[in-house]
Amino acid sequence: MTAAVTAVAGLALSSCAAPSPETPSAFASFDDVRAEADGQTVDLWMYGGDEQGNAYVDDVLAPAAAAEGVTLRRVPITDTADAVNRVLSERQAGRSDGSVDLVWVNGANFSTGRQAEAWRCDWTGLLPNMDLTDPEDPLLLNDFGTPVDGCEAPWHKAQFTFFYNSATVNDPPTTLEGILQWAKDHPGRFTYPAPPDFTGSVFLREVMLAAAGGAEAVPLDFSDEAFDEHSPAALDALTGVAPSLWREGATYPRDEQALNTLFADGEVDIAMTYGPATLTDLVASGALPDTTKVLTLEEGTVGNASFLAIPANAADPAGAMVVANLALSPEQQAAKADPDTWGQFPVLDLGRLDPEDETLFDQLPASPVVPTYDELSRKAHGELSAEWVPALDEAWRQEIAASR
Amino acid sequence: MNIPITGSRPHQADPHSPAPSSRQDLTPDRYAARGAPGAVTLRGVVLAVPAVVPVALVIGVSVVGALAQSLGLMPFIGEPVLSTDAWAGSAGDLGRSVLVSAYIAVASTVASVIVGFVIALYVLATPRMGRIIAGLSAATIPIPHLIGAGAIGLLLSDSGFLDRTLGLPPAFPTLVGGSWFGAVIFEYAWKESAFVALVLIGSMSRSVSGMCDAAATLGATAWQRIIHVVLPLSRPALAVSALIVFVYTFGSYEAAWLLGPTSPEPVSVRAVRLFGSVDLAARPEAMATALVSLGAGIVAILAGLAMMRRSRGLR
Repeated sequence: MTAAVTAVAGLALSSCAAPSPETPSAFASFDDVRAEADGQTVDLWMYGGDEQGNAYVDDVLAPAAAAEGVTLRRVPITDTADAVNRVLSERQAGRSDGSVDLVWVNGANFSTGRQAEAWRCDWTGLLPNMDLTDPEDPLLLNDFGTPVDGCEAPWHKAQFTFFYNSATVNDPPTTLEGILQWAKDHPGRFTYPAPPDFTGSVFLREVMLAAAGGAEAVPLDFSDEAFDEHSPAALDALTGVAPSLWREGATYPRDEQALNTLFADGEVDIAMTYGPATLTDLVASGALPDTTKVLTLEEGTVGNASFLAIPANAADPAGAMVVANLALSPEQQAAKADPDTWGQFPVLDLGRLDPEDETLFDQLPASPVVPTYDELSRKAHGELSAEWVPALDEAWRQEIAASR
Repeated sequence: MNIPITGSRPHQADPHSPAPSSRQDLTPDRYAARGAPGAVTLRGVVLAVPAVVPVALVIGVSVVGALAQSLGLMPFIGEPVLSTDAWAGSAGDLGRSVLVSAYIAVASTVASVIVGFVIALYVLATPRMGRIIAGLSAATIPIPHLIGAGAIGLLLSDSGFLDRTLGLPPAFPTLVGGSWFGAVIFEYAWKESAFVALVLIGSMSRSVSGMCDAAATLGATAWQRIIHVVLPLSRPALAVSALIVFVYTFGSYEAAWLLGPTSPEPVSVRAVRLFGSVDLAARPEAMATALVSLGAGIVAILAGLAMMRRSRGLR
């Protein structure tokens, strides 16, 4: 019995130390990558709750990958953190043929993986289609304040967006402060998802920026001083509005889907999303009322880009690079930008495209619900660095969720 | 025709009878028989090894791993440093979570034991309709809790099916996301009462009808038969299934996450939230929370078994 316990303890403890980052074999050129990728099967782990996104990957991206000799398999997950956790656990267990080849990721999940050195880096320079992006684009250089450093290839751009039901809201607010005031004037008709849900967490940071007097007032880099200086105003603002929220702020919707359900059921009149691309389809399918209108704020909202990252222990990294390159091609970016397909904003710099490819984007139909990216991203600001996210979420949990 | 059958039934059922005299006579023999030949015990151990070793190894490694992570000995980044911060730093929150989980588990267990017992009674008493109810109960069991919780959410939420069809009054309590975990307990009670009923029916169906017939022949009313025959007969199965339901609902995640309020958090929801946190430093806390949940489950099982043994000894 003692021997068994010692053996068990030994087994567990032998994997104690943090995994040492092995340097994955580098490729000299993209031709080498292509040669090795031929016949590989790439497991793309991505949030599975967006049906248009699933359909795009299955019906558009996967066939194009097959034409390049790579089988693309979509692994649906409820939260990107699940994929990151899988990678971390597999690395902790010493697996070098990881089951995750490619992850749709950004922000805090990316930075968590970078802290743990779980991503393969310095590979996006190999991708021929990276030349079509603007090398100076701040959204593509830093992901929530974490330098990208070639550890992930851009995929979409997104803009945090509020929307409202024009059947019940006659004079929609035009600033974030106005939204909070509107909530106080209309008790029970507004709420936001509970952080650490991604959308709720963004809302929390937007409230902090608004309470501080604008995006410039808060330093992007996290520090305890900056946190102590700026977080109390945000928490005060949210505590002040809590009694006027849906259910008097006694509970909050679990995630963006739960908020959308409340909006669709007419329980709240204003909702929010970091994926305005999905609104067109949600309205067209009847999941959201056709009186849904996008609410643009005078001070602008936060924007970000999302990426495809390859774990350091991926079993098929070459295939993953081929898929990442393909996803950046003008054809794929244009197909993905079509509101009828997915409506995700492209990451390419249209000025760098051939005239022929540029027309692909010019021909895209306009969405009846969502304004163009240029209009949505007017006065946009970048994301704060990723350390802000858990710090604010935890403060919200302690001060607002727990005290009601 | 009827007389010999009813007359013979009590005899058939005799070995199952919980009558004190026969139990007392049996007990010493049984223990003597089990203890005497050492070879049988050894053989039993050897036979059990292939089943026990993998289970012990898997559980042992994961518990030791979780313990090491909770003490900061298996960090994802940096050097392992022994620290009890994950345990001490959040003791208050952890204690509150344990209380919430215990409340949900107690309420769900009481509700499912009562409802399950009533279902079992009905099934055993009314053969034809009972078969339909038994079938419905059995059909409930393979439904995953996640699906059950989703369905309950659609049924009971503020603008759910019930509200749309019946137009519930504003005073109707908010069950989904309400601070009393009403919908969570309802979901567990619905699923687990079917489980309790099935265990009870299986354990009693052979002996109960004969004994009830005998009691009825002796003039016992329906109520007396339930209290003096069915209830004592069902007690062992009731106790075991209640223990299983308690431990299961204590550690279960889906329904509490889907139907519970944002705060306070049951242990399981807290553990999963911390485990999925983007902050790697939250991992030790997640492991501490998971271990607390495991520890509470073990304590509940040991206490339950001790109570069952004592009540058996008293009889």
